[in-house]
Amino acid sequence: MMFSVGLDHYLILSAILFCIGLVGVITQRNVIKLIMCLEIMLNAVNITLIAFSQYITPTLLTGQIFAIFVMVVAAAEVAVGIAIVFSIYRSRESVDMENFNILKW
Amino acid sequence: MPTIVPWLIFLLPFASFLLIGLILRPFLNKWPRVAGYVTIGAVGLACALAFWVLFAVMGAPEHKLMVDDIQWAIIGNLNIHIGVLVDALTAVMVVVVTFVSLMVQIYSQGYMKGDPGYQRYYAFMSLFTACMLGLVLANNILFMFVFWEGVGLGSYLLIGFWFHKPSAANAAKKAFIVTRAGDFGFLAAILLLYASTGTFDTQTLYNLVATGALAGTTLTWVAIGIFAGAAGKSAQFPLHVWLPDAMEGPTPVSSLIHAATMVAAGVFLVARFYPLFQHSAEAMTTVAVIGAFTAIFAASMGLVMNDIKRVLAYSTISQLGYMMLGLGVGSVAIGIFHLFTHAFFKCLLFLGSGSVNHGTGTFDMRLMGGLRKAMPWTYATFVIGSLSLAGIWPLAGFWSKDQILVAAFANNPVLFTLAIVTVFMTAFYMFRAVFMTFHGEYKGGAVPEHGSHDEHSHGPHESPAVMVAPMVVLTVMAVCAGWFNVTGGFSQLLGSEAEGTNLVASFLGVFMHPLPLASLIVALLGIFLAYAMYLKKWISPEKIGNALKPIYTLLYRKYFMDELYENVFVKTILYNGIFKAMAMFDSSIVDGTVNGVANTTAGAGGVLRKIQNGQTQLYVISIAIGAIAIAICVYLFH
Amino acid sequence: MLIDEMKYITPEISLLCFALLIVVVDLFVTRKGVLPILSVIGALVAAFFTVGLWGNGGISAFNNMIAIDQFGLFFKLLILASLVLVVMASNKYVLKFEKFQGEYYAVLMLSAIGLMLLVSAVNLITIYVSLELSSISLYALVSFLKDKASSEAGLKYLILGAVASAILLYGMALTFGLTGSTGLTAIADYFRTSSTASPLLLTGLVLIIAGFGFKIASVPFQLWVPDVYEGAPTPITAYLSVASKAAGFAVITRILMTAFGQPDWLHAEWAIIIAVLAALTMTVGNVTALVQTNIKRLFGYSSIAQAGYLMVGLAAMGMATQGNADIRSGIIFFLFSYTLTNLGAFIAIIAISNKIDSDQIADYTGMGKRSPLLAGALTLFLVSLTGLPPTAGLIAKIYIFNGAVDQGLLWLVVIAVINSVISAFYYFRVVKVMWMGEPASQDKVTSSWPEWTALAVCCIMVVIIGVAPGAFVGLTQAAVKMFGI
Repeated sequence: MMFSVGLDHYLILSAILFCIGLVGVITQRNVIKLIMCLEIMLNAVNITLIAFSQYITPTLLTGQIFAIFVMVVAAAEVAVGIAIVFSIYRSRESVDMENFNILKW
Repeated sequence: MPTIVPWLIFLLPFASFLLIGLILRPFLNKWPRVAGYVTIGAVGLACALAFWVLFAVMGAPEHKLMVDDIQWAIIGNLNIHIGVLVDALTAVMVVVVTFVSLMVQIYSQGYMKGDPGYQRYYAFMSLFTACMLGLVLANNILFMFVFWEGVGLGSYLLIGFWFHKPSAANAAKKAFIVTRAGDFGFLAAILLLYASTGTFDTQTLYNLVATGALAGTTLTWVAIGIFAGAAGKSAQFPLHVWLPDAMEGPTPVSSLIHAATMVAAGVFLVARFYPLFQHSAEAMTTVAVIGAFTAIFAASMGLVMNDIKRVLAYSTISQLGYMMLGLGVGSVAIGIFHLFTHAFFKCLLFLGSGSVNHGTGTFDMRLMGGLRKAMPWTYATFVIGSLSLAGIWPLAGFWSKDQILVAAFANNPVLFTLAIVTVFMTAFYMFRAVFMTFHGEYKGGAVPEHGSHDEHSHGPHESPAVMVAPMVVLTVMAVCAGWFNVTGGFSQLLGSEAEGTNLVASFLGVFMHPLPLASLIVALLGIFLAYAMYLKKWISPEKIGNALKPIYTLLYRKYFMDELYENVFVKTILYNGIFKAMAMFDSSIVDGTVNGVANTTAGAGGVLRKIQNGQTQLYVISIAIGAIAIAICVYLFH
Repeated sequence: MLIDEMKYITPEISLLCFALLIVVVDLFVTRKGVLPILSVIGALVAAFFTVGLWGNGGISAFNNMIAIDQFGLFFKLLILASLVLVVMASNKYVLKFEKFQGEYYAVLMLSAIGLMLLVSAVNLITIYVSLELSSISLYALVSFLKDKASSEAGLKYLILGAVASAILLYGMALTFGLTGSTGLTAIADYFRTSSTASPLLLTGLVLIIAGFGFKIASVPFQLWVPDVYEGAPTPITAYLSVASKAAGFAVITRILMTAFGQPDWLHAEWAIIIAVLAALTMTVGNVTALVQTNIKRLFGYSSIAQAGYLMVGLAAMGMATQGNADIRSGIIFFLFSYTLTNLGAFIAIIAISNKIDSDQIADYTGMGKRSPLLAGALTLFLVSLTGLPPTAGLIAKIYIFNGAVDQGLLWLVVIAVINSVISAFYYFRVVKVMWMGEPASQDKVTSSWPEWTALAVCCIMVVIIGVAPGAFVGLTQAAVKMFGI
């Protein structure tokens, strides 16, 4: 039997990617890497969206459009994120997440 | 009559309180007198509206006005509405309260002049009056309780008005605590009522009692509970101890408390729930017995007091006992009629004592004497007030007291005896006060430490017109107030049968009956004895005092009730007995539990905040695990 | 026609114009006092347009992307009102970042635009985009002070917000994939014909609830709240605690009611999730608040607790068949009163901290002597938050709890009432400190007239709603009309 790539494979791929991103967010100490992991999570969702769009609603472009919006939003989010990292780096001389805990309890 | 009128009667003084408290006092401190004018204006308007309500009620069928409830809010399917109950009882009470309050407010213009707390005084007076009016108007026992506590709060604030005086602060505390003891009974009665009927509405309660749905032991306990609350506020034995001390407040406050607001609240409460009492013989007996006992008990202490305000205070307790007796053996009409007449002459007498204090700087009668010439207006009004209180025909007090005596005579000879002896004592101590204060030689006046807030280097002098005028108005009422019921009009208004029809015949007819005649003679005897002892000195009070030393001491020390409460009750029973047991119970069980709960809660807070350790990634874990946990739960329970 | 439908977003467009205008004006004027005036005018113009749309209830525009309904319009007005009040309260605070005042007001207005679109969005795409518009603006605002605490708060908010939005997005993607549509009404159509949902679709629902749970600060997604509230500039904390939370509740109400409101098995499903989360949320919020010493942090936990009470309403809404309008109006009423109360409290806190430069509760000692009016106002708001008469807070709680009892959630209401009692301890601790203690300094604490005005508005409204709630109940009952149901 021919091995063919179907919807399930895309979904599983995206789920795995999402989890990788999430685990990265939880474990990475470096803020820049952490933000990259956030991007992985969002892109994982993009795969889901496009796959669904391709297999479930092939005549409509809803999923693809959604994915484009997500990319735009993600870009804006990273821009603000990096700006905040700059700001925090100026006051702390560090990009290690472990050091950012003066606000607690 | 527009629906808004009864509401305005309450809202006007309340608005005056808010206006003074929120705007005048913070922002217009330069013109303190504005506060007085605002209060007088508000109470005066309320008084005019109260008369309107009274006339409307007199013309209404069954003497009851239907005022629609105000829809406060419909929240979801919850319909919250508040309303007023305007019947004859309410109408009479609002008239008494607003009228007396108005007189007192005008009088205070002179009495409180220059006091640094002038605005505060008027703010509290407005609040006090508003709460009393709210209590009288409310158609719902829960709201009544709220205003009831409001009256308690108002009295606390006013008795302790000169809070820098320790005696005033203590008196305020005493009043608050003692009346609170009675309030527990009231609150318990409310809870019991709600548990057994599911309603707070007064009219519904009347109907339930009328149909017999509320009866038996429950009813008795509810009535007793309500009476406990009433006894606290109306200073009935054994909760009377706060009232004589309550005079530490400014005299106009005492006047208001004794005449129309605080102590009248208790009598009013019994009258308001009279249908409940009527269906319980035990409750009625309790009211009558406590009332009669309080009447003679307080009057006996009044015999020996040297402080003019204390004499009046014990006389108030005694008269309140009469009112309770009237309710217990007679009807709403009899009890409330005495409240009605008493309000005027007692207010007058207190204002008179304040005027005397204003002129001499003291309340101690041994330091007065001979004021008749210096203070002619005060003297004349005070004497008329005393005659009225003593029950001399044809003044107000005679008519109302007569009805109580008649009812007591028909009910029980013991109660009647107590009542008639009290008549004698009342006449005696009032004229003892009159002779000691106004006749004889002036004995120097002011002793610096007591009650005086003014400099009085010169001799006694008449009070300003702003103080005398209310006294004169009240004198008119002290003379005439009784005539409203000569032909039974007042009783009819409050739901009793009318007896006489011809005014003149009824007016003079009292001399045809033995009972009124007897009481009149007894009262005159009392006056004569006072005349003999304190004016003509035919009999020396000192000799009698020495001869009857134990009794004199017993009376002078108020039957050692204060000591009893202080030593036996507070120190021994409460402190060593109950408090210690409570303390044990408290520290081991309650404290343990409460501390346990509190510590656990705070401890839980301490633990929960530790989760919040500031590490962002821990928060991410929480979000992730939270989402997964919810998803798992959904699968499991789906 | 698309161009004709532009009129439906005139409030947002006008607000955007004013935001851009402020950035431009900021370049040329030296008297920065004109900027808040421009923002307030912008908000009032937008409010004017919003009111103008009130009559067009229950339609959608741009191919079912945006709904024009009373529900959304009411929340737009609420957001604009909080914007105005926050701008007024910021008038002295902005001196802390003198160089960037223009950006501050402009970004604040952009976040308001995002929230306004969010409450009227009826498509998953528009919901996501407007959510991010408001969130990204708020990330910037939270770190606006650029000091240690503020930038840390901003970074935390950004990371956690991004994770939450990724989770939300994943939920949306799954919902889209399994129902074939992103429109809320189309999703509802799908459910109407199905008798059960696949586990994947339920996962989608759970992830959506989780994503918005972050926004409304529900346990266990609430951990960001105290940290961000403490670090952010105080006016932004105020804004976060009311506008952002109100919009979050509005959108979750809309999604749950419109897309997942039918059939019965479906809404019972999420109702029970939310009921359990509500119990946890209010308990955690109140219990942790007991041990706080920083007033902003205290309000962070308090706002978590208040979110818990609101979730009681959401749960009751899920328990009711056919979407009980009374319960929805209860939620709206609670948000309305909570917005005014919490905003008022924060304005008082801003005014006090401008003077004493501290957020420690201990430094509020004797505030009753230093500024009776500020302390009195704060006391009123704390009384309202506790839910005592004569304030809006009491009516709001009665409204929500009564609805919940009717839907058989008595156990939840009992927990909520116990929680209200617990909350009295920490709210009244602040009151006690302010009135009982001796002040460390005799300096009077005063404030600027815009702050006084904002404070007076909140005070008066809180009391009026508490004393005569009738008209406001009527307003919230009109505001339940939602597109699609």
